[in-house]
Amino acid sequence: MTVALLQVRGLTKRYLGLTAVDEVSYEVEAGTVVGLIGPNGSGKSTIVDCISGFQPADGGRWLLDGHELTGLSPHRIARAGMTRTFQTVRAYDELTLLDNLCVAAQEGDGVGWLQALGRGSRLRGVEKAAEARGRDLLTTVGLADYARAPAGILSYGQRKLLAIAAGMMARPRLVVLDEPVAGVNPTMIRRIEQVIHRLNAEGVTLIIVEHNVDFIMSLCRRVIVLEAGRKIADGPPALIRSDPRVLAAYLGQRGAAARGHGRR
Amino acid sequence: MDLSFYIQLLLNGVVIGVIYALVAMGLSLIFGVLEIVNFAHGEFYMLGAMLAYFLSMNVGLGYWPAVLVVTAVAVALGYVLYEALLGSLRGQSFERSILLTLGLSMVLQNGAVFLFTTTPRMMQTRYSYSNVIVGDVRVSVMRLFALGLGLLAFAALYLILYRTRVGRAMRGVAQNREAALMVGIDPRAVSRLAVAIGIGLSGLAGAALAPVYAVHPLMGFSFVFKAFAIIIIGGLGNISGAAIAAVALGILESVAGGFLPLVMADALAFIAMIAILLLRPQGLFGRGVRV
Amino acid sequence: MRGGWLRAFLVVLGVAALFAIPRVTGNEYVLALGVSFATFSVLSGGLNLVYGYTGLLSFAQVGFFGIGGYTAALLVTEQDWSLWAGAAAGGVLAALVGLVIGYSSLRLSRHAFAIVSLSFALLCLIVALEWVSLTRGAMGIPGLPVPTLSLPGGLRWRLGRPADFYYLLLGFAVVAHAVIYLVVTSRLGRAMRAIKLNEPLAQSQGVNPLSYKLLAIALSALLAGIVGGLFVFYLTIVDPSIFDFYYTETMLIMVIIGGPGSFWGVLGSSAVLSALPDLLRFTTDLRMVLYGAVLIAAMLLFPGGVGGWLQRRRLARWRRPGAVAP
Repeated sequence: MTVALLQVRGLTKRYLGLTAVDEVSYEVEAGTVVGLIGPNGSGKSTIVDCISGFQPADGGRWLLDGHELTGLSPHRIARAGMTRTFQTVRAYDELTLLDNLCVAAQEGDGVGWLQALGRGSRLRGVEKAAEARGRDLLTTVGLADYARAPAGILSYGQRKLLAIAAGMMARPRLVVLDEPVAGVNPTMIRRIEQVIHRLNAEGVTLIIVEHNVDFIMSLCRRVIVLEAGRKIADGPPALIRSDPRVLAAYLGQRGAAARGHGRR
Repeated sequence: MDLSFYIQLLLNGVVIGVIYALVAMGLSLIFGVLEIVNFAHGEFYMLGAMLAYFLSMNVGLGYWPAVLVVTAVAVALGYVLYEALLGSLRGQSFERSILLTLGLSMVLQNGAVFLFTTTPRMMQTRYSYSNVIVGDVRVSVMRLFALGLGLLAFAALYLILYRTRVGRAMRGVAQNREAALMVGIDPRAVSRLAVAIGIGLSGLAGAALAPVYAVHPLMGFSFVFKAFAIIIIGGLGNISGAAIAAVALGILESVAGGFLPLVMADALAFIAMIAILLLRPQGLFGRGVRV
Repeated sequence: MRGGWLRAFLVVLGVAALFAIPRVTGNEYVLALGVSFATFSVLSGGLNLVYGYTGLLSFAQVGFFGIGGYTAALLVTEQDWSLWAGAAAGGVLAALVGLVIGYSSLRLSRHAFAIVSLSFALLCLIVALEWVSLTRGAMGIPGLPVPTLSLPGGLRWRLGRPADFYYLLLGFAVVAHAVIYLVVTSRLGRAMRAIKLNEPLAQSQGVNPLSYKLLAIALSALLAGIVGGLFVFYLTIVDPSIFDFYYTETMLIMVIIGGPGSFWGVLGSSAVLSALPDLLRFTTDLRMVLYGAVLIAAMLLFPGGVGGWLQRRRLARWRRPGAVAP
């Protein structure tokens, strides 16, 4: 029996006297696409912030491929093989798209500072490879035309695509996407969906946090549902759809959920 | 070792500490609510002192009316400062706000030097030569007035922060900005008031101390650096922590100044700040810990 | 890559022209301006590295400058070190101090770092004034001897004339800028810019913000310390006025106007602003009022300086319809 890629045990986070995440445990197998849904305030983004090191957890541990990630700072977790995107889409507006991607690749490629300054052939080789991979990913997400454009000119949806591409640059084992289709038009949603499929086909494991329940249901073979900081359901979409606790959690938002619009 | 000597030093230290506290609390309030470090804070202290000097020496106002006028003017200046300059900056441009207030400080300080020269002036009042004598301890009446004003200002600030809605809102924003905004607090109104109060405290401090020490355009400059050190020692964003650290520093400086060269005592603030940063970075009281 | 070669050619031409100036005119005033430009350009270049590229507002540069000056002066006069070694030691000491204050305050926040850097500069002034046994107090260390540098090939260069210091400081400025250029155009500079532009994003990509911030601080401190060590020998005196806040204000203006993060912009503005004060003949106070007003205006209206304006024009070109190749 192989160890799951990501193991989360008893994750707990308290905020201003409120328990935002309450002893949440789950495992993610390598190569899968797992959805994480739940009504507002259920703790989805907090979980992402905790396991990626951006917020300190108050309890629990999490491991990637058996390696302890608990308490590590965000950049160490990224180097360990887990990257993430942000709800508020982040990009380096003043850098070109290619540079945006090359930054994402540079810390993991084994080139030291002195080598970086030395401009030797080893560095050039590594940079060329990164650039080639960057162009590849830009093509995958359909932004190849803007490779040399500053990221500031991109539309909201295009920035989301760029963020996904950047998350892939360092060949991570696991990518966590935080609301990849929030606020995005239906055409772009389909495009992002295709991108996710392609990435998964290349062997990347994905966790997708979303409000858009329809999107998750059609994309993921396994869905975890949170409510008020606790995991209330975990299984294939068909089962989740008919789970009474899930329906109860979305009560009042159920009609909206079925139409595929999360409520802010 | 003369007991009265110590008591004298202690009293002087308390007075200066209370004044430090006024300036530091104003700075801390502005930082807590707006996330802006007001570089020009010392200049308003200086302007308060210069205005008090002008009102009493050239206009002939008495000490108390002068202080009142200066405080009112300072509060108004605070409003103007917010509306004209600080309000257009959003919370995330921390560096821009420091540079903006630095520019303001350069304009005010050098403008004052240009207009008034660096010659120190002594502000004389009716009470200037009066002293209160208890046993061997002599305290000038002006210092006592300064202390009284400071304590009055403390009380007023406490009342505002803890007994009014807008004061609670200010504390809320200082403690946890996102939560406060989510609850529906209007950041602009709270910020405006915080700046007005902060600048008002600074001006009041200047007016209170004007008769005690010499008044000159560069007096705010070194003062404000100490205020910065104080708010780090007390804990960034912690207003009461700043007050406590300020008074403690005032006393420490005064007592040390009795034995060491004066400028060494001046360095105490910065040495203490560095020690705090190395040993307990969140400050003596951390952020948002109310005493 | 014709653009690159052209630029390199122009740079070499410019540097050669600068070095030729003492041969063309012996005017000491011009040479003094040159020394001033060289020194300030190194100071503002370092500040640009820390603030413009990495996004860390720092007031510590003048502290490093003065530490370098005092260290070099003391080592040369009391320990008989050569100027090279003294200035180098000044730079290294400044860099170490920079690492200490950087590490201790950056753990807390960049707000704390800004405040600590400020207090550090003031503390330097106080120490210079008060630790008389070390620094000779307010009188400083006057009468620094004319240095003699050993050059490769056994030559000995006695810096007796103003032109000698001109060559020395200009030469160091060229080296310093070459180093800075090397860093900012490398992936190290790219990481620094990433940290400034969006630190959480950089962290999520494996970039350790602390190490790059410390690198920027240490390098800027090293360069400031060395130039300080050389500069005080030009002045033949080191005293507490080397920690004057005036230096900080001037450096900041140079960086703001040139454009934070713009290598050539800051170099250009340091040239213009070194020459300007004497051209305009303002009194210092009025000049500072003007600088203050410029700072305020810049923060409210054009925070990017000249470099930022050029950057926005580049951006605008991409936004025009048809700008993207099919």
